[in-house]
Amino acid sequence: MPEPMVVVDRLTKAYGRLTALADVSLSIRAGEVLGLIGPNGAGKTTLFECLAGVLPYDAGEILLDGAPLTGEARTSRIFYMPDGIAPWPSQTLQWALEYAAGFFGGSPAAIPGVVRRLDLGPLLGSRIGTLSKGQRKRALLAIGLLTPHPLLLCDEPFDGLDLRQTREVGAALREHAAAGRTLFLSIHQIPDAARVCDRFVLLSAGRVCAEGTLEELARKDTKETKDSKEPTLEEIFLALT
Amino acid sequence: MRLRKGPFLWLIEKEWRELLSSRAWWVLLAVSGPLIGVSFISAVRTYAELSGYGGTTEGVGEAFSPLVGVWAPTFSASELAAAFLLPFVAIRVVAGDRQSGALKLELQQPLSVVWRIGAKTLVLGAAWIAASAPAAIAVLLWRSYGGAVYPPELAAVVVGHLLNAGLTIALASAAASLTDHPSTAAIVTLSVTVGTWIVNFIAAVQGGVWERIAGYTPTAIVAEFQHGLVRLDVVLIALALIALGLAIAAIGMHIGVAARVRASESIVLGALAAAVVFACTFLTPSWDFSENRMNSFHRSDEAVLRQIRQPLRIEAHLAAEDPRRVDLEQKVFSKLRRVMPRVDVRYVAATTTGLFEQASAHYGEVWYRLGDNGVPSMNRITTVESVLETIYGLAGVEPPIESGDIFRGHPLAVPPRRAAAVFYGIWPAVVIAGAVFIWRRQS
Repeated sequence: MPEPMVVVDRLTKAYGRLTALADVSLSIRAGEVLGLIGPNGAGKTTLFECLAGVLPYDAGEILLDGAPLTGEARTSRIFYMPDGIAPWPSQTLQWALEYAAGFFGGSPAAIPGVVRRLDLGPLLGSRIGTLSKGQRKRALLAIGLLTPHPLLLCDEPFDGLDLRQTREVGAALREHAAAGRTLFLSIHQIPDAARVCDRFVLLSAGRVCAEGTLEELARKDTKETKDSKEPTLEEIFLALT
Repeated sequence: MRLRKGPFLWLIEKEWRELLSSRAWWVLLAVSGPLIGVSFISAVRTYAELSGYGGTTEGVGEAFSPLVGVWAPTFSASELAAAFLLPFVAIRVVAGDRQSGALKLELQQPLSVVWRIGAKTLVLGAAWIAASAPAAIAVLLWRSYGGAVYPPELAAVVVGHLLNAGLTIALASAAASLTDHPSTAAIVTLSVTVGTWIVNFIAAVQGGVWERIAGYTPTAIVAEFQHGLVRLDVVLIALALIALGLAIAAIGMHIGVAARVRASESIVLGALAAAVVFACTFLTPSWDFSENRMNSFHRSDEAVLRQIRQPLRIEAHLAAEDPRRVDLEQKVFSKLRRVMPRVDVRYVAATTTGLFEQASAHYGEVWYRLGDNGVPSMNRITTVESVLETIYGLAGVEPPIESGDIFRGHPLAVPPRRAAAVFYGIWPAVVIAGAVFIWRRQS
């Protein structure tokens, strides 16, 4: 088993009286596609934003390659693509991709490949603010894929996509991971997560309920999984959360 | 080649493109032409009439200073634009990233917040300079009429308006960075602007410490530069306030840092800036760039006054709203402070208007005393000549003989030809065409 790239240890974050994350601990291994599974309001976005440094956390520790995560290490190693944003809405997608590659130090040569893989060619001249939800999601994903950071956190990469697009984007993410990048995806649609991810972190009400591969999770001793010979991720999730 | 730029240049390009796609900036551009135009046309017309145009009697030559007659009113339109339009452009540039979510992405680039706010400030500065182009056109038109231009005084006016724009940009940026919504930022910015006007009003009524504070409001700063006066304390205080606003904006942008930490940093910076501002108020150097030396005594008087080393204490029994006090302050005391090392003016009045103090035997008296043990001398006359005579008498020096370097004025009896077409027609048309061209090119 490879050494964890990132270790999150008892991370806690509260918004006033509401505890969004309570002693969250997990690990991310280099080269894997890790899925963060949880219902709406589970704390997935909060966890990602704390990891990315765009939201301060109250307690806990994040280790990167065994050392406490510093601001410099974070900005050079981790990139976070939020959900539901429309950055630079009056700029064209073409320019936004060039900007993302240039500003974050990515490779401009990778732009055509990413555009082709995510079928963004016809949208290159469109302003980002005019894109539909699904188009914008693919555009954001393209921006994320163009960044050079070894770890990409992606919040709800399949949200707003139709079935065909979901499968294509899932395949693109798998290809990207196969090229050596580590992906940590927050997904609330469990079948999509099961199709794309190597391992899973189950998050509910700000707490980690379980972490592991599908087999490891299935071995957890619960009533629901005992009744099923090959439990699905959905069954496991319902049993464990 | 285009993709090999450093992150800062990418940021500059992004900010510039965002500015070009901002309707607020195009509105500022479109409005600034007619706004500056109407002030310029009105000023030139009045100037021409007073110079004898249209059969009117020619006025006194010494009164014709383009600084006061043309540049101050023309550039005042820029002050209006800076107060009411520029904040919206700045808020759009600063708050836009937070609203769209771009800030969450861009903060992941290891670029210092100083560079981030620096890029925005540079672009906003360029935006303001572009919006001030009609003022430059006014200068060219004035030259084409045969009008006199004295570059140092014009430069002083330009610097004053640049500082004023800098203050507006810093304030709006800080407000946009600290508030959750652009409309809140706009309300905060305009409230501060209105607040400075209230300070000016209170100063006019109450005098005292309010008068001192009001001397550093943007309106007062611009007014001094529009008279060709550049004071070191005013420049440094304006720069300190600009730096404070931009620093708070930078701190506010750092959304990954806990709110209480950002608040603490802002408070510490505010305290530091307050200390700097307080220290700057003790600086006295100033420079009069006006061609007619309207902020200075005659050179020969200044030479004599500089030799008087004792502190001058003045006690004026005049109410804050008394026109004689305003006259004394603007035409005499402000000039005295520039040449004498220690001038201490104290106003004594029981009311703000002075209307019901006229009957008091001592009301209207102005007492002058040189040194700690000097004999005081009273003079009710508020003219420059009379005050200087009193001071020379106290110091025991002979009044100087005035030499012949007297400002003769630059009368110009020419109407504002072509100005209406330029400011009301050509400028808005060029701006609209530019906006359409840019928007089409970006899409």
